[in-house]
Amino acid sequence: MALLLTAAPVAASPVRVASLNLCSDELALRLAAPGQLVSVSRLGADPYESLFAAKAKGLATNTGRVTDVITLAPDLVLTSRGDPNAAAVARRLGITTVEIIEPRTFADVRANIRRVAAALGRRPAGEALVAEMNAALAPATRLRPVLMVSGGGLTIAPDGLAAAWLAHAGLAQQRVPRGQINLERLLANPPQILLLTRYRAQQVSTNQRWLDHPAFAALPATTRRITTDGRAWTCLGPVLASEIVRLRRVVGP
Amino acid sequence: MTARRIGWLLAAVLLPLVLASLLWDPAMLMAVARRDPALARTIMLELRLPRTTLALLIGGSLGLGGAAMQGLLRNPLASPDVLGPSTGASLGAVVAGYFLGGGVFAVAIGGMAGALLALALLLALAGRAAGTATLVLAGVAISALGGALVNLALSLAPSPYALYDVMFWLLGSLADRSLPQLAVAAPLIIAGGALLLAQRHRLDTLALGEDVAASLGVAIQRLRWTVVIATGIMVGAGVAVAGSIGFIGLVVPHLVRPLVGNRPGAALVPAGLAGAALLLAADMAVRLPVNGQELKLGVLTALLGAPFFLWLVVRSR
Repeated sequence: MALLLTAAPVAASPVRVASLNLCSDELALRLAAPGQLVSVSRLGADPYESLFAAKAKGLATNTGRVTDVITLAPDLVLTSRGDPNAAAVARRLGITTVEIIEPRTFADVRANIRRVAAALGRRPAGEALVAEMNAALAPATRLRPVLMVSGGGLTIAPDGLAAAWLAHAGLAQQRVPRGQINLERLLANPPQILLLTRYRAQQVSTNQRWLDHPAFAALPATTRRITTDGRAWTCLGPVLASEIVRLRRVVGP
Repeated sequence: MTARRIGWLLAAVLLPLVLASLLWDPAMLMAVARRDPALARTIMLELRLPRTTLALLIGGSLGLGGAAMQGLLRNPLASPDVLGPSTGASLGAVVAGYFLGGGVFAVAIGGMAGALLALALLLALAGRAAGTATLVLAGVAISALGGALVNLALSLAPSPYALYDVMFWLLGSLADRSLPQLAVAAPLIIAGGALLLAQRHRLDTLALGEDVAASLGVAIQRLRWTVVIATGIMVGAGVAVAGSIGFIGLVVPHLVRPLVGNRPGAALVPAGLAGAALLLAADMAVRLPVNGQELKLGVLTALLGAPFFLWLVVRSR
């Protein structure tokens, strides 16, 4: 762990960078110099999962394992602390490895950006991204209660990072007991604003089908329905900034 | 006690259960009705009605199917929900819905095809009047294979979200079902059920042994196929909208058969009613939150059914 925290400043910029995780992909695709990145995860290159998939075109993809990228001879591996095995294997092979953390606060998001930027030798790009994110985090003039819900009735925690992002769009997530709501409870207490997460809407899943239940049509006219792109919310990283700005505009002052 | 009297008795139990399921959480319903009557009507019509009716029909079909299979195979451990057909239906529904991009109706067709295939496989492996061990071994193998294939299919499905659906397809749930789903499943389940009920006298005769039944004019082969197809239709249609719910078809016939003098045909109606009552009650029990989560139906039915299964094993030793 100490190694990881002090490993950030490297002498020369790495030239063959492999990212093993969707969330490190997002940062690497945004921060790396052209040609610096040689591989991203399968999900990072998947247009259903990543808003940056177009930028990953032509890169080798991996399934999150070091063995997938070892033939590319990477000199830097980016991954998430959620997968300590990959990081341990990469280090044992003598490859500089940087793990981003699962962010719980905006400070964590900024630290992840700076950590990846420093490892890539791209500090100015990192500071520019932090500045861009800070600009999106302007305080909202007022907070409206919202129920953000994705397929199957899953909601976000009102005290988590997703809700903290939402607050900057002028929306305050309602507390839902146990984090999951069924249609009955949703209809019995219709929210003022219903923020529906659309994620892989074209593909069949029970959760996704839930959003198409005919009972949604019965929501009263006083409930405003807004949709958001689920891909932006997976990592809760700086990718979310532009979506928050868009939502703030949609919600209005 | 006659079958008719038992039927009435169970129906009398069913009515309060139906009302309780429809009027669940009356304080909430009243509050909504006072504020917005149209919304309360939607809750009743679009959510409570399909949920309750599906619980009745699917529970009934499992009880009926279990009783018919136990009668046909003259084996106390036969049932569609433990020996594979339900899991087969899940697999068929998953293939139809996730890979062939089918709507509610296509998923039901897939479910029925899967159930029929699993049933045919079960009968082919276990043969006619198979010993209990053979039947259970074949059923366990089919069930395990079906479960593994459901898991595999959902892992290969285009949406990674789909893997979360393993729980639904293998444990079942009636939460947030819709009227269109009811409209597809109900006619199929009713048709399959009616077909099975029409066989009840032949099943009673079959209990005397195949030779005796044949000499009394029962076309054994035809009876066998009718029971298999009717059970497959019912189970497949039910699983396609609610996932595979275990143990009801196994347990219920045992509860009612002693009351009707162990005649398999006479047990059909009471088994259907008892299955409906049991699933309705289970579906209400899962609405009571346990540590914040709504349990999957199969968890509850297995918690009730598995000890019963054990008791059957112990008793038969």
